[in-house]
Amino acid sequence: MSPALLDFVEFSLAGLCVGALYALTGIGFVVVYKATRIINFAIGEFMMIGAYFFFGLAAQASLPNWAAIILALIAAGTVGGFLERFIFRRLIGESAISVFMVTIGLASIMVGLVEIAWTADPRSLPTFLPDRPFFVPLGSAEAFLASKNGWSFIIVAAIMAAFITVFRFWRGGIALRATAADQQAAYSVGINVPGVFSFAWILGAITAAAAGILVGSISGISSAMGAIGLSLIVVVIVGGLDSLAGALVGGLMIGWLESMASLYIGGEYKQVATFVILLLVLVVKPYGLFGTHDIERL
Amino acid sequence: MRSDRRKILGGIGAGALASTFPAPWVRDLRAQEASEIPVAIASPMTGVFAFAGIEGTDGANHFAQYFNERGGIAGRKLRLIVEDTGYQVPQAVAVFNRLVAEYKVPLFLGDSTGFQKTINEEVNRRGLLLAGASFASEIDDPKKYPLQYMPGPSYSAQVGMLLKHIAATKKGARIAFVHSDTEFGRDPIAKSEAYAKTLGLEQVEKIVTPPGSFDVSSEVLKLRRARPEFTIFHGYVMAPVPEFMKQMKEARVETQFMGTFYSSDLGILQKMGDVADGYLGVNAYNYVNQEGVSGPAMDFIKKANGGKYRTNSYLQPWTNLTLGTEAMRRCLESGKEMTGANLKAALNTIKDYDMGGVIGVPISIPGNSLGVGRIFRANLKAGKMDPVSDWIRAEA
Repeated sequence: MSPALLDFVEFSLAGLCVGALYALTGIGFVVVYKATRIINFAIGEFMMIGAYFFFGLAAQASLPNWAAIILALIAAGTVGGFLERFIFRRLIGESAISVFMVTIGLASIMVGLVEIAWTADPRSLPTFLPDRPFFVPLGSAEAFLASKNGWSFIIVAAIMAAFITVFRFWRGGIALRATAADQQAAYSVGINVPGVFSFAWILGAITAAAAGILVGSISGISSAMGAIGLSLIVVVIVGGLDSLAGALVGGLMIGWLESMASLYIGGEYKQVATFVILLLVLVVKPYGLFGTHDIERL
Repeated sequence: MRSDRRKILGGIGAGALASTFPAPWVRDLRAQEASEIPVAIASPMTGVFAFAGIEGTDGANHFAQYFNERGGIAGRKLRLIVEDTGYQVPQAVAVFNRLVAEYKVPLFLGDSTGFQKTINEEVNRRGLLLAGASFASEIDDPKKYPLQYMPGPSYSAQVGMLLKHIAATKKGARIAFVHSDTEFGRDPIAKSEAYAKTLGLEQVEKIVTPPGSFDVSSEVLKLRRARPEFTIFHGYVMAPVPEFMKQMKEARVETQFMGTFYSSDLGILQKMGDVADGYLGVNAYNYVNQEGVSGPAMDFIKKANGGKYRTNSYLQPWTNLTLGTEAMRRCLESGKEMTGANLKAALNTIKDYDMGGVIGVPISIPGNSLGVGRIFRANLKAGKMDPVSDWIRAEA
């Protein structure tokens, strides 16, 4: 294999692994938007609290990693459900921009609470993924894939498979799709629409928390890590705000594109490349690659 | 009737407007509080650098206690006025404008390179002394920044110290720079690349990471191909340095990791985990838990903190205030007013000054920077940083 081709394959693998993490967070965002039409600007902060819950349980309470992960996801889901029940349900009928602003305020409150509980110091998460890298044989050469990236990809793939199963076959998943398609019709056939809203927030929070734990295991955690969420919004805009398939494809595409930008034009141009694609998609397909045409403009 | 109402409303309006201006005797009284010297600090108590801001504020408060317990300057005590900036330049500028207008501060401590560059003209216009958390090479220029100073060597000087150490360790060594795509990250790179050439070092890679990027896998692939013997990080505090080190070790790249001031703090390196063991860092100060280090200031710090480790960020404002108050003392003793120009001139007379154990050698500040530093190796098993060089005088 020529060195140029090896470069392409190796960088593509790295990019797709990161893209999988983007996709996971994007799905957390899309689930909430699809069911409730709320643009959750605090998605990055949901990632952050998931990572901090895991940190508190594993590093501070010394629970085994597997137990800490499960409890952190449950705790994040509880926060999501609580916020839906006591804040966002009360905002039904309010203008989209008002609800959007509430999520921005919520993001600041979550950062403040994390700083009160854990201070603003950056921290490392306990290691819970194997540290042996992957060497993928490619003819006479081999492609290197960092352990955390490879394992993150495998975990995200498993979560995606669970998502597809839930949305395709489980009653709750079908109810969520029905509510997303037409709330009135969903009411009329006896679907508990408020319950679906709660479910969407719980699922969105759990998904974001899972992404937060994986991202935190790579880059460490701090109260400022929610800023990642802002760049991840590009993923869902490219894929389509209300499309799970769009979040998946958008995430993988942006991850791959960033890696290619790093290879061919330099790491400092990663974000430039991402935003060029965002601009192109908005011009050519303003609702994203897979988004439906009834998305509300703010 | 209408005329009366207008008079009353006009009177209320005029009164309200007048009340926003402090009466002359109030300002006189404030100015006459001769027992105090006010110093304003704009500190990032929230935001991405909150950990440094909170630590730094503790350092400043402890310095004020230390300074005041020793009588201040001819009985005048130091009074600190601290406000949060959130590490946002516009917020820091607002804090500056408010505090400088409200208190007649001879010295202001800022929080970032961005702020110090932005406010420079205003500092010159108002005529006060400014220092801060920045070691930006650009600020280390007395012509462009005549009323500013920094509490250590500039970033270029810090990287220069590392490069000199590399050249002394291995001739013609292969080096790589890894820096963030921020003002802070880019600051010393061009100068350092040129300096590496003059030392005969071979630069095999330069990695630039965008701010907020959490993944470094594609950058590690480049470093895997380049195989640097020494990798210098700059422009980061913690992330993504540990991930670079972990992935490079996984990729079997045998390299010596190094870094500048902010990523050379023992507390930060401990948080990075075992992977940071053996990391070489430049520090402008002694570490608070370093063996055999003493002096009146360091002894006070150790006592005030009861054995608790304090980071480099704690010692930065301590050093800024040590130098600033010494300049004030010299200014007042020579009967001069504490204007920015007089204070800077007094600051530049500081020569072979004993920092009381905070820095291991006597220091001078002929320009804008305090150009000494030392290279330490992380010995995480022992929980300390071991010096691997003598104190180095900056050249760059």
